[in-house]
Amino acid sequence: MIIKYSVVVSPSLKANQRQVTTTMPESTKMKKPDVKIVILGDMNVGKTSLLHRYTERKFKDTISTVGGAFFLKQWGPYNISIWDTAGREQFHGLGSMYCRGAAAVILTYDVTNWQSLAELEDRFLSLTDTASTDCIFAIVGNKADLTDPHAQAATSGGGQADAELGGVQTQPLPACPTPPASPLLNKQVSKEDAMALYGRVLRYKGLEEKTSPPAEKMCFETSAKTGYNVDMLFETLFDMVLPSILKKRREGENSTVDLEESRGSKRTKAGCCA
Amino acid sequence: MSVKAFELVPAVERDQLMGDKARINIECVECCGKHLYVGTNDCFIYHFLLEEQTSAKGRPAYVTQKLLHKYLGLKKPVVELRAASALERLIILCDGTITVVDMVTLETVPVGGAKIKGVAAFCVNENPVTGDPFCVEMAVVSSRRRAVQIFSVHEDRVQMLKEVATPEQPVAVSLDGYFLCLALPAQYMILNYKTGASQDLFPYDCEERKPIVKRIGREEFLLAAPGGLGMFANAEGISQRAPVKWSESVIAAAVCYPYVVALDEGFVTVHSMLDQQLKQTLAFRDGHLLQDFEGKVVLASTKAVYVLVPMPLERQIQDLLAGHRVEEALILTEGAQRNIPKDKFQILHRRILQQAGFVQFGQLQFLEAKEHFRKGQLDVRELISLYPLLLPASSSFTRCHPPLHEFADLNHLAQGDPEKVQRCKRFLISYLREERTSDGVNGFREDVDTALLKLYAELGHESLLDLLASENACLLSDCAPWLEKHQKYFALGLLYHYNSQDAAALQLWVRVVNGDLQDSTRSDLFEYVVDFLSFCPKPDLVWKYADWALQKDQKIGVQIFTKRPISDDETAGKLNPDDVITYLQKHSQALLLYLEHLVLDQRVQKEKFHTHLAVLYTDRVLSLISRSTATEEQLSSAREKLQRLLRESHLYRVQLILGKIQDSDVLLLERATLHGKLEEHETALHILVHQLKDSPAAEDYCSWASASHDHTYRQRLFHLLLGVYLDPDVPGGPQTVAAVDLLNRHADTFDAVRVLELLPDTWSLPLLRPFLCGALRASVHASRTSQVALGLARAENLQLQHDRLKYRGGPIFVSEKKGCRLCHSTFSDPDCVCLPGGTPVHTHCATQRIRDSPTKRRLDHASNHT
Repeated sequence: MIIKYSVVVSPSLKANQRQVTTTMPESTKMKKPDVKIVILGDMNVGKTSLLHRYTERKFKDTISTVGGAFFLKQWGPYNISIWDTAGREQFHGLGSMYCRGAAAVILTYDVTNWQSLAELEDRFLSLTDTASTDCIFAIVGNKADLTDPHAQAATSGGGQADAELGGVQTQPLPACPTPPASPLLNKQVSKEDAMALYGRVLRYKGLEEKTSPPAEKMCFETSAKTGYNVDMLFETLFDMVLPSILKKRREGENSTVDLEESRGSKRTKAGCCA
Repeated sequence: MSVKAFELVPAVERDQLMGDKARINIECVECCGKHLYVGTNDCFIYHFLLEEQTSAKGRPAYVTQKLLHKYLGLKKPVVELRAASALERLIILCDGTITVVDMVTLETVPVGGAKIKGVAAFCVNENPVTGDPFCVEMAVVSSRRRAVQIFSVHEDRVQMLKEVATPEQPVAVSLDGYFLCLALPAQYMILNYKTGASQDLFPYDCEERKPIVKRIGREEFLLAAPGGLGMFANAEGISQRAPVKWSESVIAAAVCYPYVVALDEGFVTVHSMLDQQLKQTLAFRDGHLLQDFEGKVVLASTKAVYVLVPMPLERQIQDLLAGHRVEEALILTEGAQRNIPKDKFQILHRRILQQAGFVQFGQLQFLEAKEHFRKGQLDVRELISLYPLLLPASSSFTRCHPPLHEFADLNHLAQGDPEKVQRCKRFLISYLREERTSDGVNGFREDVDTALLKLYAELGHESLLDLLASENACLLSDCAPWLEKHQKYFALGLLYHYNSQDAAALQLWVRVVNGDLQDSTRSDLFEYVVDFLSFCPKPDLVWKYADWALQKDQKIGVQIFTKRPISDDETAGKLNPDDVITYLQKHSQALLLYLEHLVLDQRVQKEKFHTHLAVLYTDRVLSLISRSTATEEQLSSAREKLQRLLRESHLYRVQLILGKIQDSDVLLLERATLHGKLEEHETALHILVHQLKDSPAAEDYCSWASASHDHTYRQRLFHLLLGVYLDPDVPGGPQTVAAVDLLNRHADTFDAVRVLELLPDTWSLPLLRPFLCGALRASVHASRTSQVALGLARAENLQLQHDRLKYRGGPIFVSEKKGCRLCHSTFSDPDCVCLPGGTPVHTHCATQRIRDSPTKRRLDHASNHT
C-alpha cells in the first residue's frame, strides 16, 4: 500500500533570498497553487528521483509511480505545484490532464537511453497540447552521473558552483556513494541531440525560436543521484514561470467577473476541439 | 493507516428483504433522511425507516423498520432510485423507463407528457442551476442515442429542458451546475450543456472496467482511471489533487469529506482527500453498491444493506494523536475547517494543536512541540503541571479535562531516564522564558515565575539571580523552602528583599557569611551585604547589622555609612552623622574612616567633625611617637595626614590641637602651622627657623600663609622671615646664608629699600647680586609699567575729550559783529557762555539769566526762610 508521492512542503533552502517558511508543513498544505510545472518522460528516466532529490535533498530508490503525485513548493510568496507523472504506458492517458494549464513542462530523458529521448517526441510531446499557451519547455537528460565525471562530483546541494568545481581530477567524493572509478557508460544522447529536440518542440508548438528561451538555457543534464544541476533546473524554471504567475494573479484580481470571462474564453477554445 | 474513519453498521438484514429466496438481489438503494429505499432485481421497491441508535457500548447501531414494499409490475430489475424529498417523489429507473412515485405511498404519480423511455442511466443535479426549490434537475443518458437530456422534475410534471449531443454513447453521467461529467466508452469528458463546450479528460477502457463518475463537490469529479486510480478532475479538466490509489477491481466510490471511500471485490478502502493516503481498510465480501447520501455512506451486498457510519471527527483525530500521528491529525483537523462553525473550529484546532504539542513533547521533539503549543495558545500551566512540584501549592490550576496528554508527570514521561528529565527541564526553561515576555501569561504570572525560579534553582542556572533582580511574580511562600532545599540562600535573600522583607534577607545572608549556611553563589557576600546595608532605607536594620559588619571588618563595614548619602533628615531613611559618630566610638578605625569621609570627601563644613578628625589624627601621631615599635613610614604618613588637615581646614579648634601638641618636640611643623592659623607668624617662623632649622619649610610657610592674601601681606611675612634670620639675639647668631638665599630667591617680594636698611653694612655686593639685580629690575619694571599706564591713561583721556567735543557739536563763532541774544549788545572778548542749542551769550548775561530763572528764585526764596 505504498503510494509513491508526498505532499510535503519543505522550506526553501535558498532562505537568504527567499522568505523563510515555517517548518510546519501543514500550514501551507492547503494553499492553492499559483502555477503548475509538470515533469514528463518515459518510465525509468528518473522523474520521481529528480523531484525527490530537489525536495528531500537525497536520492533513494523509488518504485514505479502510480498515476501521479504532486509537490507544493513555496517560492517566495508563490506556491508552485510540481506534478510528477507516471511514465508507464498504462497511465499515459492521464498525461494531458496533468498538463492542462501547465506553465512549464520538464521533458525528461535518460542520457544512457536513446529511446527515452525518442519517446519524448513520439508520445509525450502531444500531451502538452493542453498546457498553457505560453508554456515553457525544458529538456532534461537525467542520470548524467553514469556518463559524465563532472556530474559525479556534485553533492547533495547540487548547485552550479559544485558542478563547476568538480573537475575530473579533483575528487575524492565522500558524498557520492558511487565509487569514482565506476566505469562510465556509453552516453547515447548528446546535449546537441537534446537541443535539436528543443528546436523541434518549439516548432511543434508553433513558437518562435527568437522569442522563446534559447536551447542552451533550457537543456539540462542532471543527476538525481548526485544532485548535479538539479537545483539549477528547478530554480531556473521557477524564476521563468514568475511572469505567468503574475499574469494569472492580475487576471484573478477582478474576482468573480473575471472568472466568468476566463470561462468564456475557455469555452470558445474548447468549442473548436469538440 | 490505523485510523478508524468509519464503522460498518448493518442496516437492513437479508431476512427483511428476500428471506431465503436465493435469486433475489439488491439492485439499487436510496437513502433520504431516515428513509431507505431498496430496489431489487425482481422489480420490488422496499421502504424502510432507519432509526439511528447508540448501543450500550457507545457503538452506533440501526433499528430498521420496514414500512412498505411495492411491486412495480415490470419483472425487470429496478436499476436506479433517486429521491426528490422536496417534492416527496421517488424517481425510479426500471426497464429503461423513468417513473415517478410518491415517496410515502410508492404509488405512481402521473406526470404528463411522454414517458421517458430508453434510458440507460440518469443522475440528479446536486448543484441545480434553477433557483426553484421545488424542482429537481436530472440528466438522462439515452440508451439509443448519442445524447444526454436534461429534465426538470416538478411535483406533477417532468419537463425536458435541453438535449445535448455527445460524441459517443455515454455509459455513466454525473452533473454539477451546467457541467456534465460523462463516461464515454473510451474516455471521460466534461460537457457544459448550456454552452456545448466540452473538455476531454482522459481515456479509459470500458470493456476493462465499469466507469465511475462521481461528483465530489462544486465542479469537481472523481473518476476511475486506468491502473485502479481515482482521479480528481474539475470542470476545467484540471486535476488539482493527486490521485488516490484503488485496486484494479474497484466497483464504486463515494465521498464523505474528507474521505474517499471505494469498494472493490473484497474490501472497502478509505483514502483521505487531504493527503491522498490510505487511511482505513474494511474487509467486505460481495460488495455490490456503495453510495453516499447527504453524508451517509450506504454500502450494500446483493442481500443486505449496511451503513458506513463516519466516526466523529474528534474521535478520529484523537485516534491519530494516540498513534502519535501528529501531522495527519492536524491535516484532518484543518481539513474540517469548512465543515465546522468558525468559533467551534478554533476551539477544536487549538486543542488539537496542544495535544499534538504534547505528543511531540513526549517524543522530546521540543522545537515542534513549542510551535504547536504556541499556535494552540496552550495554558503554560498545563506544561508546568507535568513537572512535579513546580506549580505553587496555592495555584488554582487544574489540568484540562479531558486531559491533553497521557502523562502523569515528567517521571512517567521520561520513564526514569535522568537525561531525558534534564532535557525536558531545559526545554521548559526556554519555553517559560519566552512565554514570560508574551502577553499570554497575564493571568498567572505567579505560577510561571515560580516555576521558572524553581527550575533555575534546581539546575543551578545562572539566570536565577537575573530573574530575582528583575520584576517578577515569584511566590515567596512557595519558593523559599525550595531555595533552601537547593541551598540558594543568596537568591532566597534576594527574593525576601524583593518582597520587602529585608530583615529576613539580611538574617539569611549574615548566616551565610558567618558560615552557618553554605552557599557559594557569591564569594564577596560580605561586601554585598555591606553595600546592601548602605542603601537600606530602614535605619533599624542598619543599626542592627552595622555592629556585626564592623566587628567583621571595620574598613569594609564602615562603608555602610560612607556610601550612604549624608543628611540630617532622618525621615528619608538617611542617617544623622552625629548619630553615626556617636555609634562609631567603639570602632576607632571605622570612626576615623567615617570622619575622613565626612571632612575630606564630603567636605562637610562643621567645626565638630574637623576638630574631631584633627584630634584623632593628632592622637594617632602622638601614640606613634610614644610607641617605639612604630616605623618611620607609619609616622610620616600619619603626620602627612595631620599636616594636610591642619593646613587645609579652617574649621577645627586650633587652640585645642595646639594644647595637645604643645609639649611635643617632634611636631614642630604642626605647631608652626597651628600658630600660622592663629596669625602668630613670628612664633611660627621662629619655631621653623630656630627650632626646626628648616629654612625651605619656613619659606613654604610664608607662601602658604600668604596664599589667600595680597602682596603686602606676603611681603610682610617675608620681611618677618628675613628678620628672624637676621635676629642676632638667638643662639648661633643670625643665619646669614639662609637670609641671603631667601633674598636672592624672592627678590621681587621684598621692599628693597627696607631690606637694604636692614642689612649689615659688611655684606658684600656680589653676595646680594641676584637680589639687587632682581630688586632693581623689579623697580625699573614697576617704574616703566607705571609710565606706560600713565601714557595709556592720558591717551584714553584725550580720546574721551575728543569724543566729548564731537558729541557737543561744531565750533561756536563769536565775533565783534555778533550780538548776544540776551542783551543784544556785541561781544567784546572771546569769553562767552553757550545756551542749550549752542547760542553764545555774554557770561554775565548767562549769570543774570540763571539768577533770574524761577528755579533759582525759589531756591533763594526758600533759603531766606531757613
